[in-house]
Amino acid sequence: MRKGSLLFCVFLIAVALCSIILARGWAFKAALFPLSVSVPLLVLATIQLLVVIVGKPETSGSAEMDVDFSTDVAPDEVRRRVLGIFAWIVAFIALVYLLGFPSTVPLFIFLYLKFQSAVSWLSSVIAAAITWACFHMLFQSLVHIQFEAGAIQTWLGM
Amino acid sequence: MFDAFIDGLFLVLQWKAFSLMLVGMSLGFCVGLLPGIGGAATLALMLPFVFKMSPAEAFAFLLGMHSVAATTGDITSVLFGVPGEAISAATVVDGYPMAKRGEAGRALGAALMSSLMGALIGAVALALAIPIVRPLVLTFGSPELFMLSLIGISCITSLSGSSTRAQIKGFAMGLLGLLVSTVGQDRQSGSQRFDMGLMYLWDGLDFVPVLVGIFAIPEIIDLAVRGTSIAGDRPPENLSRGVLEGVKDTFRHFWLVFRCSVIGVFVGILPGAGGGVAQWMAYAHAVQSAKNSKEREGFGKGDVRGVLGPGAANNSKEGGELIPTVAFGVPGSGAMAILLSGFLIMGIMPGPDMLTKHLTITFSMVWTLAIANVITVLLCLLVLDQLAKLTYVRGSLIIPFILLLVFVGSYTANGQIADLIVTLIFGLLSYVMVLFGWPRPPFVLGFVLGKVIETYLFISMNRYGFAWLAHPIVMLLTAVLVAVIAYPYVQQRRQRLARGASA
Repeated sequence: MRKGSLLFCVFLIAVALCSIILARGWAFKAALFPLSVSVPLLVLATIQLLVVIVGKPETSGSAEMDVDFSTDVAPDEVRRRVLGIFAWIVAFIALVYLLGFPSTVPLFIFLYLKFQSAVSWLSSVIAAAITWACFHMLFQSLVHIQFEAGAIQTWLGM
Repeated sequence: MFDAFIDGLFLVLQWKAFSLMLVGMSLGFCVGLLPGIGGAATLALMLPFVFKMSPAEAFAFLLGMHSVAATTGDITSVLFGVPGEAISAATVVDGYPMAKRGEAGRALGAALMSSLMGALIGAVALALAIPIVRPLVLTFGSPELFMLSLIGISCITSLSGSSTRAQIKGFAMGLLGLLVSTVGQDRQSGSQRFDMGLMYLWDGLDFVPVLVGIFAIPEIIDLAVRGTSIAGDRPPENLSRGVLEGVKDTFRHFWLVFRCSVIGVFVGILPGAGGGVAQWMAYAHAVQSAKNSKEREGFGKGDVRGVLGPGAANNSKEGGELIPTVAFGVPGSGAMAILLSGFLIMGIMPGPDMLTKHLTITFSMVWTLAIANVITVLLCLLVLDQLAKLTYVRGSLIIPFILLLVFVGSYTANGQIADLIVTLIFGLLSYVMVLFGWPRPPFVLGFVLGKVIETYLFISMNRYGFAWLAHPIVMLLTAVLVAVIAYPYVQQRRQRLARGASA
């Protein structure tokens, strides 16, 4: 927890420093606002870093005005599940890039339900088909959103 | 005037106008549920359909659709932690934790009933304010709007928690939000800032991919980690009783709902501020209204007042936004700018004529806002039981559909894969923020207000130099700003003294 807080403070300090360095190369009007935000950010992040290093450890890890994550699962299992869902999210974006949205939607729903949720083949296929139909009706026919073709379709000239 | 008021009602109740309003409401209902596709985008898409309609029919259709989208946007915020609209983000902060606690019915009941109250107060404000609002709008120039934005950002003190450490973290997050809002081309000098050589960033970061990432991704990760339903392993709540409890909460905290509605109307009247600001100011006001630290503790963890405040402000601001649009042709937001084109398509010129020649049409808008929201909320209350049951569906079954909603929603911002990557990046940042106890609401407030603050500051400086600091309203707003910042500290000090005295 303390290590994570330290790293986040360092991240904020790095962001503020980068902003200050970059802003020095801009016109005065363009640099004024980012500089007037970055400098206090640098100061506050440094104070927080010092507080984390020399101050008393925080009693609670969560922010006072924000949600808490559940603490019922063992840390190793948490790490495994976080990596798992993160991999699914990245896979979704990669599929959209390769195949485009309209093809990704049923494929992703099917793959997730079948291999992550352990749903039967038939139910997964039906859910994917219904989702595709809803997606097509709502986003393509009704709202007319233009979805980019996937890289594979573009490459194949489809 | 009274005749025009009644005639306005009959205009809306004519079968064709009423049917079109119902069609518009159905569209608005769907759009409100889908993250990313805002009411403004749908207004633009539906504009070509109003050419053959009469003015009363067209406004019943367009306003019915737009006002309902704000109401139903709260539903996904509560159920899945995914803001249905950018203006429903604040509802996530307390609405979703309530759903996780097995109180989805209560949160939805509160969100919808406060939305209805807000919409009705906004409609009344529209009806009453048109003749008297002119001086207010004309008095607020860039300096005053800049000060008002600063008051908005000062709400960070209320959104950060009470301890010194929490305040440092809150302000740091607010500053980070302000910094992120500066990405893209500077409007004053034309310089590109933090664009990393990417054309995608030239226009800056869109609200939708950032907000959806900030609120939805950590919740999806947490849902996957827990491996349960959204409501966990708790026994299902008595949904009807929960919804009724939420409705009762609205009346238990009626004055809070009323005050937040007034905040929404006021922010709506002022051009450029928009619902993104109104909801957070209302949320901060709800937090400030807590009498002591014990009462404040619940905010962010599932306090119903955190749902009531933003819910009311979101909808009342619709009436507020219509005031300058109708009275002067000055649109208060993107959606109102599109509605303004609807006026022109109908051959109606907003301005003094709307208070004389077209007064009946003006009042028909008031009635549309009121009737559309009453019908929507009543229909929603009937099906809320079924909607709330979604929070008891196994997480692994619901996650792919939530992911789909999240990413389709963020894709609609610019229609590029980069929107999805932005959502992922801010989602991960948000996950880390929650993990290490850095509050997200101040970040969002900074991000939403950043552009507005910078623009008004530069216009003020270019137009008046430093002389704007001496404007009477600026000085008055400065005093309000100091009061807003100091209030939580004064409140804490008072409580400490009271505790000391009782000990």
